[in-house]
Amino acid sequence: MSNEDVDSNRQPSDVTLSFRATTANVALARTMAAAMAARAHLTIDQIEDVRLAIDEAVSQLVNDCDEQTHVHCDFTETAGTLVIQTKATTRSGQPPATDTFSWLVLAALVDEVTAGADNGLVHLELCITRPASVTV
Amino acid sequence: MAQVVTAHTSTGGWTSAKRDRARTLFTELANLPADSPAHKVVRDELIEMHMPLVEHLARRYRDRGESQEDLTQVGMLGLIKAVDRFEVARGLEFSTFATPTILGEIKRHFRDHAWAVHIPRSLQERNIEINHAIESLTRELNRPPTIAELARRTKLQDAEVLEAMDAGRAYTAASIDAAAEASGDGDSPYDRIGGDDLALEALELRESFRPLLAALPERERQIVMLRFFKNQSQSQIAEQLGISQMHVSRLLATSLAQIRAGMSDN
Repeated sequence: MSNEDVDSNRQPSDVTLSFRATTANVALARTMAAAMAARAHLTIDQIEDVRLAIDEAVSQLVNDCDEQTHVHCDFTETAGTLVIQTKATTRSGQPPATDTFSWLVLAALVDEVTAGADNGLVHLELCITRPASVTV
Repeated sequence: MAQVVTAHTSTGGWTSAKRDRARTLFTELANLPADSPAHKVVRDELIEMHMPLVEHLARRYRDRGESQEDLTQVGMLGLIKAVDRFEVARGLEFSTFATPTILGEIKRHFRDHAWAVHIPRSLQERNIEINHAIESLTRELNRPPTIAELARRTKLQDAEVLEAMDAGRAYTAASIDAAAEASGDGDSPYDRIGGDDLALEALELRESFRPLLAALPERERQIVMLRFFKNQSQSQIAEQLGISQMHVSRLLATSLAQIRAGMSDN
């Protein structure tokens, strides 16, 4: 878990999705994530895993947010790796605990998951890379 | 029911001895406290001995595009309900009583999940075609295909493949309810995944997590264990259980949602 500025040294995202922190909106993040994963030439297994992972990550944030808050999802693809950063200003302002089932789920679904918090802005990054055998 | 079937799978193969045994068990069940271990043993035996009835009824719906295993699984919900509701004193034959309940669950499954109702035919056909392409490409490539590879194989647009896969995965709130119902108060007679797992032990919240895992229907629990504690891929799980990868994904999504809901209730 890093405490560095979440946007430092990060290239601008390809796509950003921003929505009010309601459960109904989680589906939007899921659909967008699947579309981005397909575009990044991830395998269908990975696409499904990304859908489940963003579901988990965003649900976690939404549960800890007031409804007026916005959740942001940044999607960036570089050289076969899809990076999804989700962030929101939550009530607790705490990054998710890593000894929970939820964290275990995230860690199992993507190649790398990191989380942190900065002045109440909680962020969670998911990275997933397509297999080397995929030629595009 | 005049067809020739083996005794194991046919309701017609029921001997009067078996019928008597069921009757005895139901009488016993009625006299046992609902939360006693003995009640559970008798109930399990009743469920198990009537599984052939479910299989028999599920077979009526073969060739309708849903796997036999899925239909048997939902039929089991009906059987369990019927076992719990049956009153032996009324003098009705259990199979007579249970059949409408089991068929009801199977029909509900078609209504909630199955095509015809919600999804235009062309999408259904695409979905079947894509499922076939997934199978053959997974074999050829030795890994699951990408959307682009599927599009090339099926001569569809990338977006069409995604759309069809979304439709294939579409699950309804009803299926989450069904999962909750299925957990009920007892265990189903399916095989269990044995033993605890290190990853599970490491969870700080395992005490609150365990009952949530236990509340999942057997197959969903198995899938959650295989995916998150045995680190198997969705494709591997699909192959092992003889269901489609899309279905594994659908069951994982509903299971995780159910666990999440349970966690936030705590």
